[in-house]
Amino acid sequence: MSRPASPQAPPPDLGGLIEQEHLPAGRQDLAEPLIAHSQRERILVAMADTCATKGYNATTIADICEPAGVSRATFYELFKDKEDCFHAAMEVSLADAMGRIVSAYSPDKPWATMVRDAAAEFLDLLASRPAFARMALVEAPASGERAFELYASGKRVLQSLLDRGREDPVEEEAIPSSAGRAALSGAEALIVGQILAGNAERLRELLPDVVYITTVPYLGQEEALRQSREAEKLLSPPGG
Amino acid sequence: MAQAGVGDRWRPPRGRHRLPAEVVARSQRERLLEAAVRVVAAKGYGAMTVGDLTKGAGVSRTTFYELFEDKEACFLAAYDAAVETLVRRVVRAYESEQGWPERAAAGLRELLQALAEEPALARLSLVDIGNAGPAAQRRYRAAIQRLTPLFEEGRDFAPGGRGLPANTSRMAIGGVTGLIAEEIVAGRAEQLPGLLSDALFATLVPYIGPDAATREVDRLTR
Repeated sequence: MSRPASPQAPPPDLGGLIEQEHLPAGRQDLAEPLIAHSQRERILVAMADTCATKGYNATTIADICEPAGVSRATFYELFKDKEDCFHAAMEVSLADAMGRIVSAYSPDKPWATMVRDAAAEFLDLLASRPAFARMALVEAPASGERAFELYASGKRVLQSLLDRGREDPVEEEAIPSSAGRAALSGAEALIVGQILAGNAERLRELLPDVVYITTVPYLGQEEALRQSREAEKLLSPPGG
Repeated sequence: MAQAGVGDRWRPPRGRHRLPAEVVARSQRERLLEAAVRVVAAKGYGAMTVGDLTKGAGVSRTTFYELFEDKEACFLAAYDAAVETLVRRVVRAYESEQGWPERAAAGLRELLQALAEEPALARLSLVDIGNAGPAAQRRYRAAIQRLTPLFEEGRDFAPGGRGLPANTSRMAIGGVTGLIAEEIVAGRAEQLPGLLSDALFATLVPYIGPDAATREVDRLTR
């Protein structure tokens, strides 16, 4: 049985990691990255929306052109095919999402607080953009190799956030190196279930569960449960 | 990579024969289900055509449409058959042991072994199913649900089990299936039995914490 016992290298700077994963630079200048300022952006919005309602496989070029108010000719001037368009939509949204999540990261915060804040940011983002949530977590992993690779790269960024937990002196050389990946997949399964059930707008309610599953391998049960209860307090607005 | 071809399977003899019609239909249906598994593994569900299925199974289009409404129906039938066999194997192995960690280890060992024996089926069951439309996704979730009681026993076993988050089992299952799917996507389905200690840790840790999970993994996978 192999257990990676070597201490992890210091975590890379996360902005650098995003570049390393070949995601385009974030669009922090825009509150919404997909505001329909141009034909291209209108097409990307239409792609995400149509995917959310019909699924990627059933989406046709006509489905995208109609709500975007562009002709087929325009579509093909801007994109090679449907996959190319999906990839572009996913790329823009993902870069923005990762930028927001990474902004919740600060080296001053304790690791568990950082995980909680990043998870809250991620859940809020998905809840506020259900079309993106569906595209990124339901359609992208199943829509061809290029889209899958983007989805996987997003997951690796989240992974690197979690792996910082391995620096804490809690049994770090004993737990398998896959523990973070498993925790992330566990949280993902819960989130995807909620999206498929049509409850994307209530994703924030999952925060205590997500905090528990992502911290328990590193912090142990007692501390993870404490963190989970702390996260639960964030759900009810003060005084409400 | 060994792959059972259609020709390896028994087929009704060609030409005039007196097999009852339902026997012929059953074998045609089974061949189509096998073809669906192979074709999806080779080119993915999206690219699969009815022509691929009829060719792979050696049946006519007419026969295909007598047995299935469309390619989705054939794929879902193949999926159901595969999952049924898989779940039954896993549950039998799980129930052959006593303590929960032992049961979890036995069930996982059987699951990984079964998936490694048939990589095409492994891909279909855990990866391609998500790509085959909403009906298939519901089927996948229903299949996964059947494993929930096995994980829920971890709650009874764990000292503080009652105080764990309500969704613990769903997340534990998601973690294990996620690890397995990653191996399959990476083309390492045949090596899945080597994933046992990682998969067992992912199963145990939400219920009993990292220290106890590490001890149990060492004890049960030695």
